[in-house]
Amino acid sequence: MNSKLQQEVSKLVEAQVISLEVAQDIKSYYNSKEDTSSNRLFIIFGVLGSVLVGMGIILILAHNWDDFSRGTKTIWAFIPLVVGQLAVGYALFKKKGVTWREASATFLFFAFGASIALVGQIYNIPGSMPSFLLSWTVLAAPLIYLLKSQAAALLYMVFSMAYACSLGYFNVHSPWWYLIMLLWIVPHYYKQLKERPLENLTGIWNWVVPLSLLISLGAFVSGDDSIGFLMYVALFGLFYNIGKLSFFTGKKLRVNGYLLLGSIGTITTLLIVSFKWFWADSSESLVSSQDLIITGVLLAAGLAVLIYLFQKKQLRPFNLFQYAFLIFTSIYFIRFISPEIPMILTNLLVFGLGVFAVHIGSSRGMFSILNYGLLIITMLIGCRFFDTEISYVIRGLLFLVIGAGFFGANYLMHKKQQKQNTSENE
Amino acid sequence: MNKLLITVGFIVMILAQWFVPGQMIYEQEQVLSEGTPYKFRTVPLDPNDPFRGKFIMLNYEMNKVKKPSEEVDYDEDVYVYIETDKNGFAMATHASQKAIDTDQDYVIVEPNGVYEDSLNFSLPFNIHYMDEGKAYNAEVAVREATRDSLLVNCYGLVYVKGDRAVLSDVFVNEVPIKDYVNTEK
Repeated sequence: MNSKLQQEVSKLVEAQVISLEVAQDIKSYYNSKEDTSSNRLFIIFGVLGSVLVGMGIILILAHNWDDFSRGTKTIWAFIPLVVGQLAVGYALFKKKGVTWREASATFLFFAFGASIALVGQIYNIPGSMPSFLLSWTVLAAPLIYLLKSQAAALLYMVFSMAYACSLGYFNVHSPWWYLIMLLWIVPHYYKQLKERPLENLTGIWNWVVPLSLLISLGAFVSGDDSIGFLMYVALFGLFYNIGKLSFFTGKKLRVNGYLLLGSIGTITTLLIVSFKWFWADSSESLVSSQDLIITGVLLAAGLAVLIYLFQKKQLRPFNLFQYAFLIFTSIYFIRFISPEIPMILTNLLVFGLGVFAVHIGSSRGMFSILNYGLLIITMLIGCRFFDTEISYVIRGLLFLVIGAGFFGANYLMHKKQQKQNTSENE
Repeated sequence: MNKLLITVGFIVMILAQWFVPGQMIYEQEQVLSEGTPYKFRTVPLDPNDPFRGKFIMLNYEMNKVKKPSEEVDYDEDVYVYIETDKNGFAMATHASQKAIDTDQDYVIVEPNGVYEDSLNFSLPFNIHYMDEGKAYNAEVAVREATRDSLLVNCYGLVYVKGDRAVLSDVFVNEVPIKDYVNTEK
């Protein structure tokens, strides 16, 4: 408990505002709080230490000590593994605290990777990076549940994503194992959401999971066809609707990675496909069946969440962002009739989303959303300057209007809020 | 979680974590002790791997064989049958996409394409890990020796047994490459 607070409590006791017992309760409350925060610091440093030591071992072994015989090098390959397993066993069976569990799990995670890397190196095994990452991550996966380790779970997510990217990007293969790896983490994530909804770490998980899905999705896109964009719009639609589930509403926006990624992702992708070249090029491209199936699954999942929200009566008030993926899907299939119509409709959709964000911002009195909406409209107009023949004077005037709109909208909302405040004070 | 479940889970994890590297070692050792050695002429290059360190990439001279009579499926591996030529180096005799019932040794390769009547392929054992200070020097030493038209005889010694082939070492003029780098300094 800091000295300033201690002085304040003493003053309150002297002034007979609180009793001695209450003062004692306040002191013990703050002391116990200090304990947990210093504990948290211990865990963080323990995990960081293990990460650094583990990575240090991998780098030292990667030197390839060719003065040692094959047998000696093989023994060295197993030493970090044995140390890690002993530490994990000790933490597990002696029922040690969180610091021990997290640090030993992190160390064993890296020690196992170092061990198989070194064996591969000793025997010149030409195994590819994805298969190496796959065996590493899968065999370290039990640590998440055995030790209830958050660090091991986060490392697992990062390495499974690395596996998906190294196998699927710039390659014809699809990392199907990644989906099974995701299933393994579901119970852990669900438990985290259910038991500790307000913890900072849950907020981190709400970013890590959608980010991992977003980055890895590209590894499944098999062709260079335009359906990839529809696939991403479907994914962002799913994210946005997940972010609207009752679990996330009422919480801070910054812990709702689904909603933010969904919204920004939808706008970015729609801005890309609002160009003329996209519709002109893509009208004749062939679609691979795998891409079609993944897109279908994502669309169905997004629709399922929407139906769930409807059943729970959580679709009110109307929010255009929640339906953008469905509207774009309909627009996408019009391209077979004519390339111009879907282009115009996509531009209208982006414009509509911008106006809608301005509307939400002004009705809820939130400057951030209001300006986000204005930014969407500005970017849309900016993009149109690249593929439309408009004179410089008109372009300049348009920007002037938009700039004035920024000032005007913010000023009007500021005034509105001031007026509200004064009427509330009266 | 139930204590018995945790104990069993822990033991299974430990065993699996030993089994994977253990099996890798067992398979490689079996080929090294029981397989037939072949020399594959090669030229080294020097890339690196973030986890396993520096290695030399081997560019083998043996990279084509008379194309098999059947249509080649490029997603499937090809069996390339080998024997030792009169100079003592490995030589590809014929290839097939299905294993042929014969005692002749073979290596399983990835087909790259067909040019005229040859099938081009990449040999899988093309990575030789080296001390991080030596990998680049090895590449330079072999390149310079070749440029000076000295007699450079660089080959990978590969043990072959059944489906497996293990690269044991790389030799330059009959000296292991790690020692050759030291003599060239």
